[in-house]
Amino acid sequence: MAAWDLSVTVEELGPEAPPLKVSVTSDLHIGGVILKIVEKTQIKKDWSDHALWWEQKQQWLLRPSWTLEKYEIHADARLSLTPQHKPLRLGLPNGTTLRLQACFSRPVFQTVIGVCHLLNLRHPEELSLLRPMEVKKKKKDKEAEEEVVYDLTGLRTSSGPAHTLSNGMPMHFADSLQTEAVYKMLSVSLPAPAPETITKMPRPTSLMDKAQVHSRWLDSSRSLLQQGVQEHDRLLLRFKYYCFHDLDPKYDAVRLTQLYEQARWAILLEDVDCTEEEMMLFAALQYHIGKVSLSEPQPMTSCPAMDDLDSALQCLEVKMEAEESITADMLETMTVAPELQDYLKIFRPKRLTLKGYKQFWFAFNNTSISYYKSKEESLKEPIQQMNLKGCEVAPDVSVAGQKFCIRLLIPGAEGMNEVYLRCENELQYSRWMAACRLASKGKTLADSSFSSEVQNIQSFLAMQRTNPGANTAQTDDSINTYSLVSPRYHKKYKAKQLTPRILEAYQNVAQLPLTDALLRFLQIWQGLPDFGVSYFVVRFKGCRKDEVLGVTNNRLIRIDLSIGDVVKTWRYNTMRQWNVNWDIQQMAIEFNGNVNIAFSCVTATCKIVHEYIGGYIFMATRTKEQAEVLNQELFFKLTGGHEAI
Amino acid sequence: MDDIDAMFSDLLGEMDLLTQSLGVETLPPEPPSSSSREMNFSMGFADMNVESLNELEENDLDALMADLMADLNDTEEKLAAELGGKKEAEAPHPDLPPASHGLSFYPVPSLSTPTSPERGPNTFSAPLADSPAPIHSPPTLPQHAKPSKEEIEAQMKADKIKLALEKLKEAKVKKLVVKVVMHDGSSKTLMVDERQTVRDVLDNLFEKTHCDCNVDWSLSETNPELQLERGFEDHENLVDPLSAWTRDSENKVIFQERPDKYEVFKNPQNFYLWKKDKKTIKDMKDRDKELLVEENFCGTSIIVPDLEGVLYLREDGKKSWKQRLFLLRASGIYYVPKGKSKTSRDLVCFVQFDNVNVYYGKEFKNKYKAPTDFCFVLKHPQIQKESQYIKYLCCDDAWTMNLWVTGIRIAKYGKSLYENYKTSMKKAAVTTAWTNRTAATAATTSIPSTPSPTTKAKASGQANGHAPQPPAEPVAKVGNAPPPPPPLLPTQILPPPPPDPVLPPPPPPLATKRSPPATSVSRQLPSLPTLPTSFPPSPTSMANLPPPPPSLSQDDSSESPPDFLPPPPPTLGFGPGAGSLPPPPPVSLPPPPPPDPGFPLPPPPPDPAFCPVTNRGSLPAPPPRQSYIGAGAPPPPPPPPPASAGLQSTPSVRRTGPPPPKRTTPPLAAPGGGDFMSELAKAMAKKRGNQ
Repeated sequence: MAAWDLSVTVEELGPEAPPLKVSVTSDLHIGGVILKIVEKTQIKKDWSDHALWWEQKQQWLLRPSWTLEKYEIHADARLSLTPQHKPLRLGLPNGTTLRLQACFSRPVFQTVIGVCHLLNLRHPEELSLLRPMEVKKKKKDKEAEEEVVYDLTGLRTSSGPAHTLSNGMPMHFADSLQTEAVYKMLSVSLPAPAPETITKMPRPTSLMDKAQVHSRWLDSSRSLLQQGVQEHDRLLLRFKYYCFHDLDPKYDAVRLTQLYEQARWAILLEDVDCTEEEMMLFAALQYHIGKVSLSEPQPMTSCPAMDDLDSALQCLEVKMEAEESITADMLETMTVAPELQDYLKIFRPKRLTLKGYKQFWFAFNNTSISYYKSKEESLKEPIQQMNLKGCEVAPDVSVAGQKFCIRLLIPGAEGMNEVYLRCENELQYSRWMAACRLASKGKTLADSSFSSEVQNIQSFLAMQRTNPGANTAQTDDSINTYSLVSPRYHKKYKAKQLTPRILEAYQNVAQLPLTDALLRFLQIWQGLPDFGVSYFVVRFKGCRKDEVLGVTNNRLIRIDLSIGDVVKTWRYNTMRQWNVNWDIQQMAIEFNGNVNIAFSCVTATCKIVHEYIGGYIFMATRTKEQAEVLNQELFFKLTGGHEAI
Repeated sequence: MDDIDAMFSDLLGEMDLLTQSLGVETLPPEPPSSSSREMNFSMGFADMNVESLNELEENDLDALMADLMADLNDTEEKLAAELGGKKEAEAPHPDLPPASHGLSFYPVPSLSTPTSPERGPNTFSAPLADSPAPIHSPPTLPQHAKPSKEEIEAQMKADKIKLALEKLKEAKVKKLVVKVVMHDGSSKTLMVDERQTVRDVLDNLFEKTHCDCNVDWSLSETNPELQLERGFEDHENLVDPLSAWTRDSENKVIFQERPDKYEVFKNPQNFYLWKKDKKTIKDMKDRDKELLVEENFCGTSIIVPDLEGVLYLREDGKKSWKQRLFLLRASGIYYVPKGKSKTSRDLVCFVQFDNVNVYYGKEFKNKYKAPTDFCFVLKHPQIQKESQYIKYLCCDDAWTMNLWVTGIRIAKYGKSLYENYKTSMKKAAVTTAWTNRTAATAATTSIPSTPSPTTKAKASGQANGHAPQPPAEPVAKVGNAPPPPPPLLPTQILPPPPPDPVLPPPPPPLATKRSPPATSVSRQLPSLPTLPTSFPPSPTSMANLPPPPPSLSQDDSSESPPDFLPPPPPTLGFGPGAGSLPPPPPVSLPPPPPPDPGFPLPPPPPDPAFCPVTNRGSLPAPPPRQSYIGAGAPPPPPPPPPASAGLQSTPSVRRTGPPPPKRTTPPLAAPGGGDFMSELAKAMAKKRGNQ
């Protein structure tokens, strides 16, 4: 067989070096070609990661046993020998950027699996890579202050599937202090961003904007290089499919945190719409999570109930040994709660609207407040006793105005009684407020959470003291409330108006441990009506105007582009089949009962829409039992497709 | 037993004394309305109206007595067991001391504040407080690094303390005697302690009434004054809501079947797909229903049905009803202010569910001049009288009302609702199994210990609902393919015939028939579909599926047009990909034929499975059923055949192990009983002493 010259570029020889010429015959296999090239370069190094890339055809030659003939490579082919793994800058959901080695030769789906394995993210099938939005060039000079990049290029995962965890962290992160720090960054939620950062970020204002995002997903069945991604390019790693399988805080520290971060940004940037009440709850949870993750080094805690019982018993035992007299004292210690008594002012809007606040001696007892004319009369019958169990407690506070009021709505058979209690100062307020809150939940002052509740309230009050204008980063217990809500509320409320509202929502979540708070945040996020809808602008067959197709984990939604109303929904489980005509970029879907729809895609390519739908169907095939094993083949079957290039 | 009888009669005597003294001391004589007495439940024993106790029917007394006795026995047994466990003889753990301690203040508050309208909470909050009390001072263990013997002793001491603590807690448990009105108008009297959930009480009632125990049975409260009614949820503590009733309340607790209780789990489509046309909803398959429940209740978060609609709202303090557009979200009910859009940001919160319960309103047309009688109300459970804090809403029809009330319950109770349902299903299944069994044995018919065939069928469907067999899911989820009829299976799997010449142009109907050979053919032609470039794009053909030219399918040529019909590729290129069938990846595909020369595609990571998928072109997949069968053998999750059969009467039966023997005592009340009696005795003694 006749020999001919094949020209191959080798990166290692430098960018300017002319292509190497190797003499080959058509029945030489790829492995042989590589061998020849390597010999010719005379460079001694580990070449095992290198493979041939065929530039004209945008194709990797990954089968060493295939011959040139089989690949149909002729003398005009321009090949290059290049590593399959190259460094990539990866933007994480929490806004940080990592530099790590990613596979450029395998389909993106497998690249993501590799990356997720490295980062200890389970269920990589739910994530994918997104091209970042084009940054407008005009600001380029100012943005010279490049974002911080954490370098993980040196990191290699242990080859075994068993992820040995030391201290909750995968082994491969334990190598150096830097990587440990990176792992901490990955698995602990970041402090709230400065309000300016939020305002500066682009926010989707219309359905059209939201649809644009989805045009940037990479194709999971082709490799990075095939899609024009170069070494050192920046891509975003995001949760793409909104069905989070088997979320287990025990194994999913990073996943949970990144999911929370993605959700948080979706809320802050108004990617998902929510009501004001919901926003306040999100804000309260963010505040709480931020605070707890600072103080709580390890989210692992044992069952608090057990601790309580143990400590109660031990404490009792101590007492008993000291005093010998058993039950009587025991009863004493168990029933007598710490007392809370003080002069406060009370105001009942209903009865004496004009009279304003009047001072009395107040005493907290169990879940009730009693008040007396004066301290001296506190042994007599109280003027009134109010049981706070089941009541609503709301703050009415202005630190600047030194106003510390507690608004109580106390239920009775006749209706709710509105009562205001006015305290003199912050300390008094936080104690009484904490007591009221506990009482409203049926707990007494003796409850173990009392002191932490008091602290919570105090630190929250501290928020009001910080100057909202000052651009201070979050310190230990002060935080800017504007960092917790979307910019719309920056305009709507002043910071001091916002604080009490967040505080109000905060009281329901203040006692949650970190993971519960994270999960709660995710649950509320998932409960939003618009949650998990990915939008695409499409044109239905036979229609003249553009419409929006919403893709979710269980249904397709047809939405009017201008009004945003849902026109129709189709559920996947009534779907019989779908087909793609790549030439005209049209998808046709058939549902039960002879319902057929067809549409062409406007904002994104047909492949992306097709992959989204197929991907969701793939997600639905996962079951709890068949854990761990990812059926990649099925994924490609459902999401792959032929690109008519 | 004699002792107990004596004790009880003694008790009644004491009660007389007690009430007399009560009347003298504090009580303004209660209006002797017989009706109020009839339906009266009593708060604690101090409040127990002796007259009404005397009025109780014979069988009520018996029942009550049985409860008490069982409680006593139980406590005694438990105690004996505990004592037996202790080696120390010197530890005299008579049940009385702790109990009496609990008692020493228990009756006192209840006697001292009987006039207060909020008697319940005031009175009993004190005892409740004790359990968390000791926690505040963190313990430091004294000299414990000693020989093991001392440790053992210490351990024993700790055990003793634990025991004492438990006893103390028990002694202070609040108990109510509740009169429950049965569906036939009769009534039964029960003792309920504050730890018992509605579920426990229902179980108790099942034993007493021998009803069929189906999931619809529920306890409800009625408020005649406000004309409200609400079914308690199974996880609620019964004592809590009852404590909110006023002294002279005419409220009742009713034991009845409420189909609306778990309707959402039986017909989820009515709530989650209410916007769809009636026919779709009606024709919903059981499997799809389960899927809906799963989707909305088994995920990480509970999905609340997205309700929206115009309801009438009763204006505060006015008599008019005004229309507004309301929306239900997980976080509360919202309305759209005038001139605003429905987007989330414009919504105004109408009510959140933390502090309110939802009630059905009865005959509001008369009472409040409501537009219809289909009204519901949101109020704090404590509110018992007319108040501006009660929110009244009115719907156009019963269906809408049901939709909203159920939606609100889902938003408020979330996962508990589903847990409750599962528990009551289990309960119902066990009981049914038990009844079946007894019936079977009694009739000496064939089936000894297993339920009848029908039951079995139901059971399997039920099991599916509970622990969905994983394999079934994927198929149904996607393709909605009914499980394959077994007889077909062999024929279809068997023939992997060579790509056969007959194949060519099957007209659509034929195609389905041919799919068995088709599938097999497709396996041989994986690369067939790889050349879509040359597809004549013809959208219409996609829909209409005209028969393809016969030749194409065979010569593996690159020109297969999108409309080309043959079923083979479907399974391969389209079948699975085409959306109808995720689970059957033709894993077993033989390696693809040599790459099609001139066609560059198959990308490097070259598994055979990859290329076939590439073209999901316009090939119609065979009907899901067929293709499923064709490729059905290899995929991991084949649905179990019975799945489709058994789904229908999910609610009624579930077989779970051997039915437990019937209990005659309420499980929770039991341990408290002994203390309760002694408490009572002490209280009497004290009272007498005071006089």
